[in-house]
Amino acid sequence: MESRRLVLTLTGIAVALIVVLGGLTVILVAGGGGDDGDGDGAGDGDGLGERIEGELRLFGPDPLTLDPACASDAASAEYIVEIFSGLVSFDLDLNVIPDIAEDWEVSDGGTVYTFNLRSNVLFHDNSRPVAADDFKYSLERALNPDTQSTVGEVYLDDIVGALEFADGEAEEVSGIRVINPQTLELTITEPSAVFIEKLTYPTAYVVDEREVGDSTCFESNWTLTPNGTGPFKMEEWSLGRKIVLEANPRFHLEPAPSLERVTYIISGGNSFVMYENDEVDITGIGINNIESVRDPNSDLNADLKEGPTLDVFYIGFNAREAPFDDANLRNALSLAIDREFLAGEFLLDLVQPANGILPPGMDGYNEALAEIPYDPDTARDLLEEAGGPGILDGATILTSGQGATPSDILQAVIAMWEQELSVTVTIEQEDFGLFLRDIDDGNFEMFSLGWIADYPDPQNFLDIKLHSESANNEAGYSNAAVDALLDRADREVDEAARLELYQQAEELIVEDMPWAPLYHGKASYLVKPYVEGFVVPPFVIPNLRYVTINR
Amino acid sequence: MPAGLATYIIRRLLLLPVILLIVSFATFALGRFAPVDYVEIQAGPRASDETIERIREERGLNDPVPVQYVRYMGNVLTGDLGVSTRYQGFPVADVIFPRMWISLQYNAVVLVLTFAIGLPVGTWAALRRGTWQDPLSIGVFLLFASVPVLISVPLLQWLFAVKLGVLPSGGWSEAEYLGVELGIFSKHAVLPIVALTLPGVAGIARYMRGQVLEVMDQDFVRTANAKGLKAGVVVTRHVARNALLPIVTILGFELAALIGGSIFIETLLGIPGIGLLAFESIGSRDYDTFMAIVLVGSTIFVLTMLLIDIAYGFIDPRIRVEGSIS
Amino acid sequence: MSYDGASPVAIEAAPQQSQRYRVLRRLMRRPVAVVAIMIIVVIYSAGLLAPWVAPHGFNEADFQNRFAEPSLEHPLGTDRLGRDLLSRSIWSAQTTVIVTVAAVLTGGLFLGVTAGLAAGYAGGRTDSIIMRAADTFASVPTILLLLIITATLLPRIQNGARDLEDLTGFDWIVSSGAPSYFLVFGALAIFGWTGIARVVRSQVLALRQEPYVIAARAAGAGTPRILFLHLLPNLTNLLLVSFTLSFGALATAEVGLTFLGIGVQPPHPSFGLMVSDGAILSNVREHTTLILVPAGFIVALVMSFNLLGDQLTDVLSPRRR
Repeated sequence: MESRRLVLTLTGIAVALIVVLGGLTVILVAGGGGDDGDGDGAGDGDGLGERIEGELRLFGPDPLTLDPACASDAASAEYIVEIFSGLVSFDLDLNVIPDIAEDWEVSDGGTVYTFNLRSNVLFHDNSRPVAADDFKYSLERALNPDTQSTVGEVYLDDIVGALEFADGEAEEVSGIRVINPQTLELTITEPSAVFIEKLTYPTAYVVDEREVGDSTCFESNWTLTPNGTGPFKMEEWSLGRKIVLEANPRFHLEPAPSLERVTYIISGGNSFVMYENDEVDITGIGINNIESVRDPNSDLNADLKEGPTLDVFYIGFNAREAPFDDANLRNALSLAIDREFLAGEFLLDLVQPANGILPPGMDGYNEALAEIPYDPDTARDLLEEAGGPGILDGATILTSGQGATPSDILQAVIAMWEQELSVTVTIEQEDFGLFLRDIDDGNFEMFSLGWIADYPDPQNFLDIKLHSESANNEAGYSNAAVDALLDRADREVDEAARLELYQQAEELIVEDMPWAPLYHGKASYLVKPYVEGFVVPPFVIPNLRYVTINR
Repeated sequence: MPAGLATYIIRRLLLLPVILLIVSFATFALGRFAPVDYVEIQAGPRASDETIERIREERGLNDPVPVQYVRYMGNVLTGDLGVSTRYQGFPVADVIFPRMWISLQYNAVVLVLTFAIGLPVGTWAALRRGTWQDPLSIGVFLLFASVPVLISVPLLQWLFAVKLGVLPSGGWSEAEYLGVELGIFSKHAVLPIVALTLPGVAGIARYMRGQVLEVMDQDFVRTANAKGLKAGVVVTRHVARNALLPIVTILGFELAALIGGSIFIETLLGIPGIGLLAFESIGSRDYDTFMAIVLVGSTIFVLTMLLIDIAYGFIDPRIRVEGSIS
Repeated sequence: MSYDGASPVAIEAAPQQSQRYRVLRRLMRRPVAVVAIMIIVVIYSAGLLAPWVAPHGFNEADFQNRFAEPSLEHPLGTDRLGRDLLSRSIWSAQTTVIVTVAAVLTGGLFLGVTAGLAAGYAGGRTDSIIMRAADTFASVPTILLLLIITATLLPRIQNGARDLEDLTGFDWIVSSGAPSYFLVFGALAIFGWTGIARVVRSQVLALRQEPYVIAARAAGAGTPRILFLHLLPNLTNLLLVSFTLSFGALATAEVGLTFLGIGVQPPHPSFGLMVSDGAILSNVREHTTLILVPAGFIVALVMSFNLLGDQLTDVLSPRRR
């Protein structure tokens, strides 16, 4: 049939298009990429697969902001702690160490902190050394209502006059005094063992006034080229795509960074596959891959590094009202949870079963604390005492996250309750913001949440989450004896005695079971053998300057 | 240009801002109707209610929605698209345009390829009517069209990135050529292009097949054949006129489908394009970014539709009387 | 996600009752069409009868049998929680049935046909208002609006439903998932009617000039009578093809929306949730059935609708053969 010509014409056009496009691709890929052709998906010629000497490539979360005064989330803090620094910071063993401050003295019954600053700390652009005035500016900026930071007050409220300043009632923060360019004095309202730890948080970091000026949290262009004081400086930030850091050769602490470059890939493919294909040097590893890596025959087995994280995941009960104001009911539900199974067989040892509130690795963690047993029989008895399974009719667990499948572990817990106690509980998922508001307002029966340490101190868990007067006590738990212990611990200056008080409080709390603690997290990473010195961070700490690449 | 067509185009152009106003106000109002806003989401559990309320006040989130809308549109008209809150403190324009460029690159290639494959396949199938080749060729592409991207992408990812190890498992390249970022010329672009092209072919092919069949069955072709004229020439001319134009319509719908398709492909493959950004900005209640995406997206879409209508108007004057087609 | 009911292939309005049976007979002679209809019937009736035919509940966890291989007890295996994949699929099919039927009835049949008939028959101002509305709906990237609607309205609707529960004492409203189902098919309907409306309108425009319509009007038949007795029956073939194709598109759309977290909300079952679990690359590697099972159902269903639509077009198109 003659109309074949039409087909031929159209096919011709198609082939021509494809050839032109394809040819262009080949030419450009070949021309732009340099060496290629090893065929393992690694060197694909556009920068992802190749490595530069001294470069560490890893996956990074997409930060919300890199403005230290504004960051409230761990994803942002992860970068901020490498680019900026403050008076003090944590070392790998979670001790508070001097950073820009050379040392400090505490006087006047523990309320006046005098910091002597190092003289050799320069901003990244080498323009000038950091002076006490810079700290006064940075701290006041974080507290200034015009900055619109949500966290300024949260971490700096101990300082005398901070709240007045944050409310716009004072011209400056009276508790921040510049004695001389090398000396800064901070006065706090009452002695606090954790104040110094709060200063490790980004809110207390120093920024360059000449660069930042009066930028608010909603004017962040300057963070593309932040003039920080941290071990690394920003080389490139491509929003949502990657962050490249370069070593700060004049960093003031030992060890100075050995890596020349750190590339965080923010959006990409599957991290595990990218690790296998040598596109990244470090990756976190989750439940879907852990088994294949644990297999002793796996090539990756030797690369696995695990460490505890300072957090606790729990189901909170609304202790304010019936039926969950009854400790028997709360204990019944808690005892019916097989934590060993959950952490071990179910979550493949990616977490550790929780016996109390405080995570292992934290100061004051009580190894002697009795395990919360898996005891369905006692649980059933306690439930009968509390009124039988019927009192839980229609009960719900509130959890955050819209759409995404509710966490497997929550479904597993509910299945256990159904099996052992014959109670039917349903999951109710809510948008994160709405969820926060509802648990804040006590508008729930049960909720599931995790709490991650801001600083490694029991106060951060027990006092903030379970003191009856704390704004963050969502469960509405109230026990006068616990409150008394926590208050005493707050004022106690002797470290050992203080931790002892927290342990006593924790024991009482576990008896009352305002939460059913489920597990403490672990961080699991794959780290290439040539990457040395990488410590699995228990929470956000500057850890990259300890890393070296050796190949 | 005929006078009727000119008025028609002007009428349609005048409609454009009206449509954009309606769409933008609906989006804006819906965004503000959300029970929580970005301040609350970003503040996390620790910030005090007073702080949150104060920031809301300062950012004008407590004003009545129409007031906020007028203020926002006023800013947009002066070229200020607002401030992102997902990438807190960056101008929306700086956030969305690099992302759009990425999505544009692979979507353009997908569009071209879809037609480049669909047109000949459809024509070939029509000419093979009655043989097994016709249903087979269309059937194969129908199968592709029946596999949602959600399913094909993980499987392709597994095949090419894991099993064969020849393609990256996702992401987008930053390769630059002559100072322009052209990630399309890298292996990263292969998966999205394949995954989006294959399901699109069937629509074009089926359409083309129908058109060719119709033309071939028309009396004048038969007459031409009977007269011994070369049917190929006749069919080619008529098909070109009758079929390629309605295909412009399909192009419009394809364009709309691509915006949707890119949300899925970008979330699955971690491509930092506009679809992923739209998805994330909703999650973090980043009103201004989301608004900008909707505005730009619908402007492009409406303009395309307009161009299609105009193209029709030129070819077929009857249509002008009836108003819009498509 | 493209959801547009309009069939790209011109279908002649070929009316007459007697012809319709011929169409059906011709369709039944085509093996492809028969197979497609059988697949659709099997999946839809399984979904409708899920409470009776599904061997397990959709959330029934069995920790002793996690990631089980296919067996008599679990014909398609189980997932991480030991939930039976076959049962979850059957229950998910129920969601598909609810959403697609509801969206076609409300969006396609009610909104689309009514708007198309009205615009085409009344013409003038009515026509231009309806078509401008259609333009507006069609000019927003649908999925973007769906994203924001679900993100902002779902919590509100759920709160409303909770108030309704308090008011009426029915405590099953929220836990039944009704609000999220309602939102999904509602959203699909609101954005899905424009395609059908356009097709119907253009057909009505053509039919309006047909002698029998003119005759009916001359004989004094009222507008509703003309619309429903004379015009609508002539559109059946066209609507049949359009709806067949849109069923497939709607099923895909529901899966997509749920995958993005803006569709049916867990714990209610949906293929979208199963896919979002199985699509994780590590799961594709280690537990391939997690994606293959829902994929098989979705592809079979959508493919059947597409093929059926294709066959219908062929059968109904008068110039064919």
